[in-house]
Amino acid sequence: MSLDELSKLVEDGETEDARELAGTLLKDGADPLEMIAEMTRTMARVGDLFSELEIFLPEIMLAGEALSGVVEVMTPYLDAVGGQAVKGKIVIGVVKGDLHEIGKNIAKLILETNGFEVKDLGYNVDPLTFIKEAEAMGADFIGASSLMTTTMPRQKEIIEILEAKGIRDKYKVVIGGAPTSQMWADKIGADLYCQEAKSAPELLMNLMAG
Amino acid sequence: MTTAYRHWEILERSQTGPFMDEDDFLPKHFTPTLKKLIKKYEIKYDPQNPCPTDDDMADRVWQAAWDLFREVGYYNTDSHRLIQVTDEEIREALYMAHDQYWVGEGKDAVLWKHRQVEDPAPPFCIMSPDITCDEKYHQSICMAYLKEPLLDGICGPILEETFGHLIESSGPTEISGCIQHIYNQKMAARLLGRPGTFMVAVGTAEHDSGQIAVSNDEWGVQKTDARLVGSLTEFKTADTLLNRSLHYAQYGCYTGNLTGAIYGGWCGGSEGTAVTTVAYSLIGLVIHGAIFNQHFPFHLNYGSNTTRELLWAIAMAGQALARNSKLLQTSNGFANAGPMTEMLFRETAVHAMVSTVNGWHLWEMASTRNKYKNRATPLEARIGMEVGHAVARQGLSRAAVNDIANRLLATYEDDAADAPIGSEYHECYDVAKAVPTQEHYDMFRRVKDEIAEMGIEFPF
Repeated sequence: MSLDELSKLVEDGETEDARELAGTLLKDGADPLEMIAEMTRTMARVGDLFSELEIFLPEIMLAGEALSGVVEVMTPYLDAVGGQAVKGKIVIGVVKGDLHEIGKNIAKLILETNGFEVKDLGYNVDPLTFIKEAEAMGADFIGASSLMTTTMPRQKEIIEILEAKGIRDKYKVVIGGAPTSQMWADKIGADLYCQEAKSAPELLMNLMAG
Repeated sequence: MTTAYRHWEILERSQTGPFMDEDDFLPKHFTPTLKKLIKKYEIKYDPQNPCPTDDDMADRVWQAAWDLFREVGYYNTDSHRLIQVTDEEIREALYMAHDQYWVGEGKDAVLWKHRQVEDPAPPFCIMSPDITCDEKYHQSICMAYLKEPLLDGICGPILEETFGHLIESSGPTEISGCIQHIYNQKMAARLLGRPGTFMVAVGTAEHDSGQIAVSNDEWGVQKTDARLVGSLTEFKTADTLLNRSLHYAQYGCYTGNLTGAIYGGWCGGSEGTAVTTVAYSLIGLVIHGAIFNQHFPFHLNYGSNTTRELLWAIAMAGQALARNSKLLQTSNGFANAGPMTEMLFRETAVHAMVSTVNGWHLWEMASTRNKYKNRATPLEARIGMEVGHAVARQGLSRAAVNDIANRLLATYEDDAADAPIGSEYHECYDVAKAVPTQEHYDMFRRVKDEIAEMGIEFPF
């Protein structure tokens, strides 16, 4: 039994077996910080395979589920050594009038498996709901996705409401979705345009640092 | 005749069918069933042959698609219920479907007929930029498409603004934009002397209210036109979509079923994309009462369908539908490159030839991955339609098309990820006259000659 085996189980999306092995390894004295670092590397590898479509969405979703199972088992051990550092908090959703959520779901998975705390608001989300949920969570970011040109203005409305409430500077607003672009992000004053999910963790980290 | 007679029973099922948590539907129901069926029916992608010749596998794709629809059902995200149908209902719907419909009006009406694999009858050609455009170019772009000789039907560009106001889905600006859209399109058809041209309209409507607002036989979408109803990825619907198909049936226009199975998404690879695409045709017929299906399977990363893994799926799905049903289906191209690039002309030609020889009708062309405003023109659609007519009239076989497609793929496939976005409409068309610039036309002619040398005998 080893971390390599655990990585393989997570990669294969074997949630129950991965949970069981993680529990055994921890009871046998494995270092939880080393284990979480290995899991992060594993998911990065899975993310790379997915970005090249060497594996497909169902496989990465299963791997994400397996990782969540492992992290759940690890939580008491991580807490005992000071807890796992959360890189940032984000509320994420698809804007009002838009029912297409595949891109948002991929982004959510990639962020979660890279140490971000994510609150998924689903789809067809009112601009004000993004803000209320961000306030409730104490979020660092508001992530708004749009797949239709006629729902893109709802991304702008989020920023306008933040300004109207005088809390624009409290949140970094991140936009994405097929018809959106850097030009659109600049036009509406978004803090970040995220072209694809894989680069999201790094871009968000840079934004926080910058 | 469509299956509209069953509409109320279908709608009732969307309220009373088995409950399922939406989070479980795709990962625990749809994808495992699809994987099981791909294995059961031994469906296997062959990357060497983007236009395969395998009748037996085509029939297995059909059977897998049938089983997929019957076993999975269709999920309503508003009621969290599964709409389920029986084998008998699918058989009945297929029996009741016609294999041809008159569309359009008067002298411009066209008989749209089912095609077979390697059918010598040319495909029905719907031309569309699929893209959004600036308000100031909208009418010119409609005119430019309507000037295309091989056009049988048009779906105009999408407006983002109406009289200077950003269009917001489900709001008053959308209703206004939709009316402006159909006025522009109808006026362009009248000015050009093709007033009865078949239209699929209006793309500006994201919400049902926008579609309903333009149902008018005097100035709006007529009963001889068609409207589209989409699905949510994958196998999901919502009340706002069911509102549309009910309204279209009650208004009396034609319904088209719009779907894009995603390669790399919940369908998995090429095999799942092909099976899901075929299953969507059954959904369109049985659930929405559609007379035609408008399919645009696409690559999750690229947002296109001109690379081999998607061409194979399009080819197999086309063969499955052509051989086992009398339904009408259009193959909607999504290219990586943008206007006035040789790559776009080549991509469109490949998409059109593979689609045509496999029994599809054509819907060309969403250029530049359907992502960038103003980046689509009729000239790329023209090369697609000319290739489609040539392939059919010549009686080319799937094997012959496979060979030409492979040669053309070699010229652009490696550039798919970083394709050039080309020019905007006003940079390669004379906006006032709605005709291509000389430079643009010369490029079209050059690529057409190159394709002709590969064995495509253009009719003119």
